[in-house]
Amino acid sequence: MEVTSPAEGAPRKRIAPSADLTTPSLLGLPLAWLVVFFLVPIGIVAAYSVDVLHLPITLGPHGFTLQAWHDFLHGSTYLGLFWKSVKLSLIVSAVVVLFAYPLAYYLALSGTKRKYVLLLLLIAPFLTSYLLRVLAWKVLLGDEGPINSFLFSTGLRSPDHPLTLIDTRFAVMLVLGYIWLPFVALPIFVSLESLDRRLLEAASDLGAGRLQAFWRVTLPLSAPGVFAAFLFVFIPTLGEFVTPSLVGGTSGYMYGNAIVSKFQTGFPDWKGGSVLALFLLGVVGLLTVVFARFLQPKQVVTE
Amino acid sequence: MTDVALSRSGARLLRGFFLLVVLFLYAPIVILLIFSFNNNNIPAFPLKGFTLHWYHQFLTNPELQGALENSASVAALSSLGAVALGVLASIALVRRRFRGKAPVSAFLLSPLVIPYLVFGISLLLLFQAVGFPHAVGHWQTLLRVVIGHVVISLPYTILVLMPRLQQIDVSLEEAAYDLGASHLRTFRSITLPLLLPAVVSAYLIAFTTSFDEYAVASFVKGTLQTFPIYLYAALRDPYQLPQVISVAVVVITISLIVVIAAEVGRRVAERRLGAL
Repeated sequence: MEVTSPAEGAPRKRIAPSADLTTPSLLGLPLAWLVVFFLVPIGIVAAYSVDVLHLPITLGPHGFTLQAWHDFLHGSTYLGLFWKSVKLSLIVSAVVVLFAYPLAYYLALSGTKRKYVLLLLLIAPFLTSYLLRVLAWKVLLGDEGPINSFLFSTGLRSPDHPLTLIDTRFAVMLVLGYIWLPFVALPIFVSLESLDRRLLEAASDLGAGRLQAFWRVTLPLSAPGVFAAFLFVFIPTLGEFVTPSLVGGTSGYMYGNAIVSKFQTGFPDWKGGSVLALFLLGVVGLLTVVFARFLQPKQVVTE
Repeated sequence: MTDVALSRSGARLLRGFFLLVVLFLYAPIVILLIFSFNNNNIPAFPLKGFTLHWYHQFLTNPELQGALENSASVAALSSLGAVALGVLASIALVRRRFRGKAPVSAFLLSPLVIPYLVFGISLLLLFQAVGFPHAVGHWQTLLRVVIGHVVISLPYTILVLMPRLQQIDVSLEEAAYDLGASHLRTFRSITLPLLLPAVVSAYLIAFTTSFDEYAVASFVKGTLQTFPIYLYAALRDPYQLPQVISVAVVVITISLIVVIAAEVGRRVAERRLGAL
């Protein structure tokens, strides 16, 4: 991730150096906090996963071993689960982007005067509690929940055969889509909003219809925003475990659930869990570095 | 003039789609609201009459209130820390020139992309490694969660503070230096007051992030009950469901109001400051 180079909006004149508020004194605390409580902990997990370090810290010679990594890479269970989660996240991200694009298009290009009000209306649910929105769906999708009981009372479905909604892969995808949809419209909106409309007029002057102008001008120019939106959903859903554990049951079980169960169940396996966690971190880190230029925060900052 | 981007019927179609999606987004919340007043142990149709019983029940539930209090303390402390660190970092990134600015800012923002459960595990191992008191006292466990939430919230505060700082005219600060004010004095009398709207929104964002955070807290909490942890456990118990629904309604409503008020307030403040 990268911030727009602050040099752009920054002072031209040099500010006279002074004894107080020097750069090191400004950056010292934030950097130290992240090193001690963010970087070092990850290092500890890495050292722990190869047996260089034992908990609580005991100094002395420990055998470096890749046994836990070997078990992970050669047992098919967790890698298989990982691919299953990748597929699920890919589907969710693609569908959500597909839904969000027309929303963003409407806000950015329809010329509506209340676009910021509507944008706020769209995004506000995203800014409320994540867990409570999952809760809402857990209630809604239950075998005797509002949806099913509504179907019973209208006679569309008999109480003996409720729609199986909860504890399915579908439920996980529905809820994840519900959660991310508002947020995903944002990067697409920003890219469409910054589109130079004269390009569309030029296309029209040159005889392009609306559809052709869309395919050949608007869509290519908004592609970075679309791709950013896709990554903004894909990266967090890949490590998701709260939603699947609440509405996914066994069929919606994801890689994240496997990691958690290594730490929080009756038979803890911290070493194996550390390997699983580091693998996820590696994949996410790789995606972030490779696609860094699409993941700039300015992509979601309006105005 | 015809619009090249959208025909009139196309615009109508998209508006319809937009309204449908908004309906989809708010319907679950509205349904929760309805069932929070429903006089029935299970949230199901047909509705069985109006009651305030579930609200009364959660207002008199000490466990839930303890969890809410803990979450409020954690959120208040961690967002204070995150905003303080965020202000320092933002000033450095916006107003100072130094080598390696790009990697430094990337590092400061990197907690945005780490899967929270991986971070939770890392923090747990850190506390285990250094023997940080686990189940010793309330404040120690609270502190463990606060430490993690500062890390998570810091990038959000930077993202809110930096654009605002870039908008503030640097010549105002230079004028203060010319008049003999120190950096610290200038910050206190010029920069901070101008930055205040952004500081408030950064604080609110950090607060709500922390208040709702489950993953990291679940690993490092020890015996501490925070609100999300209480909710998560309660969701598995059908008897608790009705009162959990009423809590959900209250929290969602409050946060919607705060979000909208913060946004409106920010716009008003920026318009006023824009005149400067």
